[in-house]
This record gives sequence, C-alpha cells and structure tokens, in this order.
Amino acid sequence: MENDQDLLLISIFTFFTITLWVTFELLKTVKTTTVSQSTQQVVIPLNPKIDIDTINTIANKQVY
Amino acid sequence: MAYNYKTELGRYRRYYQSLEPIFNKTSSRTYTSVIFSFLAVSLFGWYAVRPTIQTILYLKREITDNTLVDKQMEDKISALIETQAYYQQIEPILPVLDQALPPNPDAVPLVIQLRNLASDSGVLLTSLQPASTPLLGKNPTKNSTAPTSSIVSSKQQSYDLTVSVQGSFKNIRSFLSGIINMRRVTTITGMTLSPTKGEPSASPSSTLSENILQLALRLKTYYLVE
Repeated sequence: MENDQDLLLISIFTFFTITLWVTFELLKTVKTTTVSQSTQQVVIPLNPKIDIDTINTIANKQVY
Repeated sequence: MAYNYKTELGRYRRYYQSLEPIFNKTSSRTYTSVIFSFLAVSLFGWYAVRPTIQTILYLKREITDNTLVDKQMEDKISALIETQAYYQQIEPILPVLDQALPPNPDAVPLVIQLRNLASDSGVLLTSLQPASTPLLGKNPTKNSTAPTSSIVSSKQQSYDLTVSVQGSFKNIRSFLSGIINMRRVTTITGMTLSPTKGEPSASPSSTLSENILQLALRLKTYYLVE
C-alpha cells in the first residue's frame, strides 16, 4: 500500500514537472523573435527629414 | 543452451500466479491505473504534444514577425524615396557643407579668409597664429604645443587660432560681424579690446569710434575627420 502511494506521488510530481516544463518551453517559443539580427538591423527606421533650413543658412554665409 | 519452452512456460505461469492476488485488490488496480495514466500523459505530453504545439506557436510567431518586418521594410523604402527627393533638392548646395566643416584642418584657406576679411573690414591684421595643426586631419601629437586642440566628438575636431587686429571701433565691429557670418564654422572663445599703446587720440574731443583700438581674438575652428 505504501509502495503504491510512493509511486503515485512520483508519477504526480513527474506529471507536474513535465507540464511546467512544456509550458515554459511554449512560452519561450512565443516570446522569442524569429527575425534574424541582420534583418533587424536592416529594418531600423530611417528619418527622411533633412534640415534644409540649416543648409540654406550655411549657404547664405559668406566666403572671403 | 537450448530453449526449453516447457520450463520457461512453467516459470512464467508461476510468476503470473503470484501477481494475480495483487491485481485482485481494488486499491492496487486503482493505484496502478492512476499511476500509469499520469506517466502516459507525461510521456505523450513531452514527446508528442509539446513539439506539435511548439511548431504551431513558432509558425504563428513567424507570420506575425514577417508581417511586421514587411511593414517596416515598406516604411523604410518610403523613407528612402523621400530622402532621395530631399537629396536631389539639396545636391547643388551640398559643397557648402564641406566649406563650413572641411574634411581636413584647412588652416591655410582659413588664414586667407581672415586676411581678406581684415582687408574688407578696413582693419590692420597685426598677427595671426594658428595653433599646431595637423595637416592631414589626424590628431595632433600629445606633446605638441597645442594644448587647446581637443577632440569634440569621435569625428569632429578643432584647433585654436590667435588673431590680433588694429582699427577703429566701427571697423573692428565689422571684422567681428564678418567672423560670425563666415561660412567656415569658427567660434570666438576669447576677446580682448584695448586702446593702442603709443598712439594717443588725435584730439581730446575724439570719440571712441575714431580711436585706434587693438583687438586680440582667440578663435576655435572645426573640421570633420572622415
């Protein structure tokens, strides 16, 4: 009888361990990005605005 | 050793017979079924359910990521097209940037500009002393006589000049305005204005604008090492 209870406990702990392990594996899969490092560098946003006013201000200055 | 099935059969029959009373107990049957159920669920959960759900979630994540990357790529292409339009608009005036912040120290053109400015302003350029300046845009050596040369940023560098001019207040003011309006980026870090020694005013009634003054300037100019 005691043997049966021990085996039952072992199997329950095994079940919970496996369940937690599977859960964390799945969470890791969900959270990990699938985009490669090089692609992440390529898609870094680019600000297209060029400060033309400053360039015009410099162009309006004099050269002696 | 030859396999004697009769002996083996008898041995296993005895074994099953000894197990039979154990399995006849209800509690043992229940325990056994529960234990094997847990173990079976664990085994199949790890070797069958986990890889399947993991593949499903990975593919869903990949779809989401690729959709996002596709949108970011489109945004970037639009930004590049817009930048190209801006660039074509300013392309003719881009060389002024090199004049404002040259890729090397360009000390001689700066000295020429200051000389021309002094001439245009009507002041007398009495001295012009650039600090020890690297000719090829490299850092000055640490033991050089240019302690004021400094690295402003990783690429932008600077060096100092000392300029002395003489002239009337009006002309000196014109000279200072000229430095401020000069295209080459030059900042005034120090200035001393004093009456010229040995040249007293022509008459007691002469005003400040008629007196000859001496201006000592400390300038800092910048260049961009590529």
